[in-house]
Amino acid sequence: MSNGLALTLETRPEELDRLTAAIETLAEQDNWPAALTFKVNLVLEELVLNVINYAYDEDGHHLDVELTCNEEDLVIEITDEGKPFDPLHDAPDPDMESPMEERRIGGLGVYLVRTMTSDMQYRREDGKNRMTVAVSRDG
Amino acid sequence: MDLKSTREGSNLIVDVEGRVDGTNAMDFQTALEGAIQPSDQGVIMDMGQLQYISSAGLRVILLVAKSLQKQNAKLLGCSLSESVREIFAISGFDKIVPVHDSRTDALKALED
Repeated sequence: MSNGLALTLETRPEELDRLTAAIETLAEQDNWPAALTFKVNLVLEELVLNVINYAYDEDGHHLDVELTCNEEDLVIEITDEGKPFDPLHDAPDPDMESPMEERRIGGLGVYLVRTMTSDMQYRREDGKNRMTVAVSRDG
Repeated sequence: MDLKSTREGSNLIVDVEGRVDGTNAMDFQTALEGAIQPSDQGVIMDMGQLQYISSAGLRVILLVAKSLQKQNAKLLGCSLSESVREIFAISGFDKIVPVHDSRTDALKALED
């Protein structure tokens, strides 16, 4: 089992490719099942894009992504120095039931993250947003 | 992401391959909208080779489903991998885009 990874990304969407590549490498090294790789990619993408899209008013900032592996879980921590934003409370509730023509898409990303993680915590400390989630190794 | 389309009668079949994420969702939307014609009555999205999709890709599918509804056409999905099927179920997208096991099943559903 590898130690995981630590990456600093610029706050622009193209940086996702670098993150995805790093995850794919780690997944290969550690022999993750395809479903786990999918889940980790999705959780990271949704949380990282949230920061890139909402935490800052302009490009040129950074965020830190850290992933640590243990027996049961993969623990992901994302830290940025942007505006206070707690996805657990500040993201809109997703709209799952409305007929198609009325359905909104906002909040869906955070909702997907919530269903795919076993633990989700937000803290604001030292002027930073710190989001911690755990993805269970077994489904 | 790669998109290939073929036509069967008045139905369009679109093969979506690879990854649809926040970096290429706009390309996905452009390619999909470019493939659809006003005369299409049914659109089947074959996701057998779709490795990954996030909320950015789902957003495009919702937009396309809405515009197809305006031209009285149906959008169906088929051949989803287990992970993609799970995303569709969790997000309630399987209520917007009926999902079938195979392309044959989806075509049959359009005939009914």
